Amino acid sequence: MKKTTVLALTAAMLLTSLSAAEKKVEVQKGIKMPYMEFPMKQGKGMYSTKGKCNMCHSWGYVLNQGPQSKAFWRKKVIKMIDVFQAPIRNEDIDEVVEYLYANYGKRVKG
Amino acid sequence: MQRRDFFKKAALIAGSAAVGSTAADADTTTHPVDNRKVANIAFPQKRPLITYSDRPPLLETPREVFATPITPNDLFFVRWHMPMIPTYINPHYFSIKIDGEVKKPVKISFDSLKRDFEPVEITSVLQCGGNSRSAFHPTPGGIQWGPGAMGCAKWKGVRLKDVLAKAGLKKNAGWIKFHGLEKPVYTKTDGFVRALELSKLHDKIIIAYEMNGEALPYLNGFPVRLILPGFYSDSWVKMLSNITVTGTKPKLHFMDHAYRVPDNDCECETPDNLAPKTKPIEEMNVNSLIGYPTGGTKVKQGADLIVRGVAFDGGHGITKVEISTDGGSSWQEATLDDGSQGPYAYRSFRYTLKPAQTGALTLMARATNTKGETQPFAQDVKWNRGGYKYNGIDEVTVEVVS
Repeated sequence: MKKTTVLALTAAMLLTSLSAAEKKVEVQKGIKMPYMEFPMKQGKGMYSTKGKCNMCHSWGYVLNQGPQSKAFWRKKVIKMIDVFQAPIRNEDIDEVVEYLYANYGKRVKG
Repeated sequence: MQRRDFFKKAALIAGSAAVGSTAADADTTTHPVDNRKVANIAFPQKRPLITYSDRPPLLETPREVFATPITPNDLFFVRWHMPMIPTYINPHYFSIKIDGEVKKPVKISFDSLKRDFEPVEITSVLQCGGNSRSAFHPTPGGIQWGPGAMGCAKWKGVRLKDVLAKAGLKKNAGWIKFHGLEKPVYTKTDGFVRALELSKLHDKIIIAYEMNGEALPYLNGFPVRLILPGFYSDSWVKMLSNITVTGTKPKLHFMDHAYRVPDNDCECETPDNLAPKTKPIEEMNVNSLIGYPTGGTKVKQGADLIVRGVAFDGGHGITKVEISTDGGSSWQEATLDDGSQGPYAYRSFRYTLKPAQTGALTLMARATNTKGETQPFAQDVKWNRGGYKYNGIDEVTVEVVS
């Protein structure tokens, strides 16, 4: 008999602590993401490239790939179009690739 | 002049080092870049971290945090794939939908996860497959991480197995797909979806709702994420909202083209001779990192210097960590912690020495696991096109002063 009371009490306590824990979670009101400027190198095609790439992601995502070959940048741009539907028309691919290679390029094979 | 000033200022605002060219290119490997500073802006629920991108957020933990075996939530690294991440989720209205090749599709609410399932805890390392990618040359595509795209936390949650049992798997079930709330800008695209072969499901894989005794930070996947102890973090899906069971292996961009290494014994290739077949990165190899001292620290000649750091592998367990002060010619065993956090956690080590001479002193750390696997010297790590699974012997150079 006593045992049942203790059990019931424990259960009640558990319930209380659970709802307290849940309340604590609810206090988390949501977050506000900061904007950070990752400056682009000045160069031919910068504004056009900016508009196309920044539509989906920060410029940091581009420049922190490290200096890369022209073939690499071309492959990346095409992947962005094919896989992620980046709004880059076929006739604009060269301009973006040239800007990337001229400013974030590395003269290696591959 | 003006322009340079502008960039200097802008770089300060961003507070993150733009990745520049480092060593020579000849499918070689060096030490990863290790001198980047934290940004002067903190992301929500975080202290300032090394910041590669704000959208999606890509944040690296600085070296000194790895002097202790648990990584605090607000210093824990962050890596998202999609730019659209919910910034408010009411956990009481959050649920995980389970469908596909199941007997009964179900929705399991966050509250039910906490109430109706047996809670389990596991301390486990979470490491990006591309951690230390900046060590590889020629530079592979992907974020040029230093050594801090990792962390270790105590996760609390429920077994994935138990959750799947609520829906009941059909006989032909073969793969489990995971999808979180992050979204691509163009909705017709795949999004970040990962899949696990059913044969690789085990009891230690959990859906976590707590990290180091607190709710998960948003940037680490609030309110729930998948925990796959021993595996690289590519499948640790954050803000886990959908589980779909399929019969056959689903075609997915992030499974078929990313997070793969050459399917050969050395998991290696050269830029001119890429391996024809690849396999998923999956289990982590043996690795260690010195948390203290950091490069350039000034220490006193003849005074006790306590080297501290962490070692880990894919769950087999670390047996020893050795320290070298002579460029790897001779090695002395460091003291390990008691290992009570289990085989998936960081094993912390410490080693005390008295620097005898003034000038530069280089400290190296090398871990070995129960399988006898150990770390290669940085320059002996083999190249792969994705820059994955770097585990070169770590090195820190301090300045000994009289």
